[in-house]
Amino acid sequence: KPEDRSCKEHDDISEQIRNHHKQAFEYISVALKIDEDDKGPKEQAVQWYKKGIAELEKGIAIEVTGNGEKADKSRRLQDKMKTNLLMSKDRLDLLVTGAVPKKRET
Amino acid sequence: NTTTLTTPQSEVDLLMHEMADEAGLDLNMELPQGQTGSVVGASVASTEQDELSQRLARLRDQV
Repeated sequence: KPEDRSCKEHDDISEQIRNHHKQAFEYISVALKIDEDDKGPKEQAVQWYKKGIAELEKGIAIEVTGNGEKADKSRRLQDKMKTNLLMSKDRLDLLVTGAVPKKRET
Repeated sequence: NTTTLTTPQSEVDLLMHEMADEAGLDLNMELPQGQTGSVVGASVASTEQDELSQRLARLRDQV
């Protein structure tokens, strides 16, 4: 049955995307935890952001074909991953260039 | 309440689904097992991505 087959294929694809999401979520969560602390070691946050960004890129690169609720959900998840990819990259650039505003007066 | 009575069931269903979607819930209990898992999993993932966006935005707006 062709319908079952495409459904099964989509399950695999959506699972792959979710796996990359999960990995990215864990890495970026670690980065954020460090980054949100004023005294956190920013060079460590940089490394975690980089790992997270790589996972987001992998998840976004997966092509979602077809329509239906599940394909739409996968695409919506990818859209959110794209948003976070851009935001993480912006944050990473700030940290790398040392342009992060310091709260304390020097 | 006349408003409730005159609102078509299809609109109510649609609204319920939108709300459930936003809350990361899945109302469609008739989905076979295994498919349900993947749909709920996608909603959880979606919520987690939103959380990252919020935290990244907070850092960005912090001066």
